[in-house]
Order: sequence, then structure tokens, then C-alpha cells
Amino acid sequence: MSLVLDEAWFSTLGEPLGDAERAEISAYLQGLGLPADLPVHAASSWQEAAKLCRQPAGAWWQAEDVERTRLERSAHLDPANAEWLQVTERLHGAAAVAAARSGCADAALIRVAAGAATYAAYQQRLARAAGAPPEHPFLRKYALYCGGRWPLGVYDQRFAIF
Amino acid sequence: MSAYPTVKTVDEFKQQPAEYQDAVRKIVRSHALNELYGAQVFDEPAIQLAPTPYAKWLSCRVAMEEYHHHVRFKELADQIGVRPEEMDTKNKRPLNIFELPLESWEQFCVIKMLGDLAEILQVEDLLHCSFVPLRNIARTTMPEEKFHAQFGLDFCVDLVETDAGRDKVQRAVNGFYPEVPKFFGASGSKNNEIFRKYGIKLRSNEDMRADYMARAKSTVEPLGIKLPELRFDA
Repeated sequence: MSLVLDEAWFSTLGEPLGDAERAEISAYLQGLGLPADLPVHAASSWQEAAKLCRQPAGAWWQAEDVERTRLERSAHLDPANAEWLQVTERLHGAAAVAAARSGCADAALIRVAAGAATYAAYQQRLARAAGAPPEHPFLRKYALYCGGRWPLGVYDQRFAIF
Repeated sequence: MSAYPTVKTVDEFKQQPAEYQDAVRKIVRSHALNELYGAQVFDEPAIQLAPTPYAKWLSCRVAMEEYHHHVRFKELADQIGVRPEEMDTKNKRPLNIFELPLESWEQFCVIKMLGDLAEILQVEDLLHCSFVPLRNIARTTMPEEKFHAQFGLDFCVDLVETDAGRDKVQRAVNGFYPEVPKFFGASGSKNNEIFRKYGIKLRSNEDMRADYMARAKSTVEPLGIKLPELRFDA
């Protein structure tokens, strides 16, 4: 389960988005059945990321949840697996390092970021365990995390990413 | 406090009297199970009840920390000879507080605020435990337990800003709090006497329960929340 060791978790937060990342976002949204041409909002700070994700994002979360529930019918992962829990600790460490580099010492917000990455990593493992194809939206979102981003979700008809 | 000598390793543990070994196994098994039950019935389901991605992701992280606590205690349990079937939630009936159905986000916030406060007291009592591997797990998990209780308090502070929110928090407190004092075990407990004899634990069940009830009161009163009256005769 070496899924986090070589990735750039949280390392490009606030950097300008590239065309490939925009294409990944569009394909991710389309894969969830959401409009692929939603405007993309790039958050520029940890504080802005926190403010955004403190808003409800019911439709987006529900779209992901429908797919998660569908995948969980054919695959089950043990959340108390010791190796998996080591992965989640590494994600927390990566979030803490990235926050410290930006002068953010908010222990709760660091845990929020770690929790978001953990949830995405869980969805990725679930999709793989269920035999999902490489273009599955959970794998696309996971790729954004691996590239150092924090996808925040859809708020006010915009997809937000840090 | 007992002057029982420090037991530094699992190998030294195996040289201790059978009564000492049994007592430590009981505590480690209890913590391993409680952490697992808590994560399964409260923390993980709370992700779906949380109102925003912020709260959902924070709940996810907290759930992972609780699962990790379970794994730490379980690894120690394996080393000291607790049988695997004794740590399987299918075989062991949970403590009363884990049988409450989780139905709302407000209820979860109250469970973190008041339930994890109870866990903090239990872990505090192990910070100077004579069995060093158990002491070290307690010291490792304590900062996270404190964060979890603070997490519950912080969200409750937000919730009580409206009358409707305060009513929901009060109802959740009324439903959950009466179950918590039983978590500390019976007064005059023989097990607790043995734990203290060997310096595994420091305080009696009744001392801890009284302390918990006082700390719970001082936690909720600034929120305009009242604890229901309890008569605890155990």
C-alpha cells in the first residue's frame, strides 16, 4: 500500500492551474454526472480554502456518495487496517508540512485537509478494488491530490480547488 | 499511590503475577474494544451526517485517529496474550453508551464533547501506569483525545448560537449524558481495587465518575446547556 510515498501531496496549493489539471477537473465532473464546464475557482490561501469548504456542498457530495455507495456493494475495505492507517498518518503529516510552509498553524484545518485526502485515498482504493476503469472520477480526483492539489468541491455553481 | 515497580517491557510483563497480567489484559482489551466501537458506531457514520465538507473531512480524520487508537491497543493486546476472539466486536457486547443509535450531527458533537471527555479521564488515569507499554500508548493517544473533545465543544459552541441549535444540543445531552457515568464502572469495584494495588490505575471508579460529572458540568454550562439530574447508585 505505497500509494502515498512518491506523491506530491499538498505541494502545489495556491499555484496556478495547468491545462492538464483543468482537463482532469472537467473529466472528473463529467464522470460524476455534473456539468463538465463548471467554472473553476482556484483558492489562494488556507483561510480561503477553509471558508469555502465550510459552506454546504450537498449536490456535489451526494453525486460522489451515490458512486461510493455503488462501489461499496462490490468491494469492502477495512478502515482499521494497520497499513492503511499508516497511510492516513502520512497524509496528515503532509498536510501539516504544507500548512506550516504557508504559516498556517490551525490544527483543525490541517486535520480537515488530511481528512479530505484520506477520503479521496479511500475512494481511490475502493474504485480499484471494485475494478473501476482508469477514467473513473474517483481516480481522476485522486490524481489531482497526487499532483499536490486539494479539490474542495462544488460551491455556488463553481468547482473550487486549492 | 501503589509502589508497585515499573514493568518496562512485555517480557517483564510475563514475569509478573497472574493477577497483574489479568488486570492489564482487562484494561487493554477494554480500550481496544471501546476505540473500535466508537469509530464504528459514531465517528465513521458521522461523516455522512456532517453539514459541510469541512465537518465531513474533519470527522473522517477523527474516525481514522480513533481506529488508530484501536490498533495501538490491539497490537499491545496481541503481545500480552489477549485472545483475538475477545477483541472481536461480534463476540463482545459493547458498553451501554455504544448502543445509542447515532441520528444527528448535533448528537455526534455532544458525543465528542462529553463522551471523549470520559475517555480523556480514562486515559489520564493510565499516564503513570506501572506497565510502561500501556503508559506509552496512553501518552500517545492523549493529545488526540483532547482534540476530539475540543472538536465536539467547538461545534457545540457554533450550534448553540441559535435557539433551535441550542434545543437540539440540549436534547442530545439529555439523551447521551445519563449513560456516561456508568462508563466508569461500579463503585467499590474489586477490579478497580486490583488495578490500584498494582499501580496500573490511580483512581477509584467513584472518584473518576465524580470528577467527570464536575468537568462535564463546567464544560456545558458556558453554552447555556444543563446536564440532566442523575442519581447514580452503582
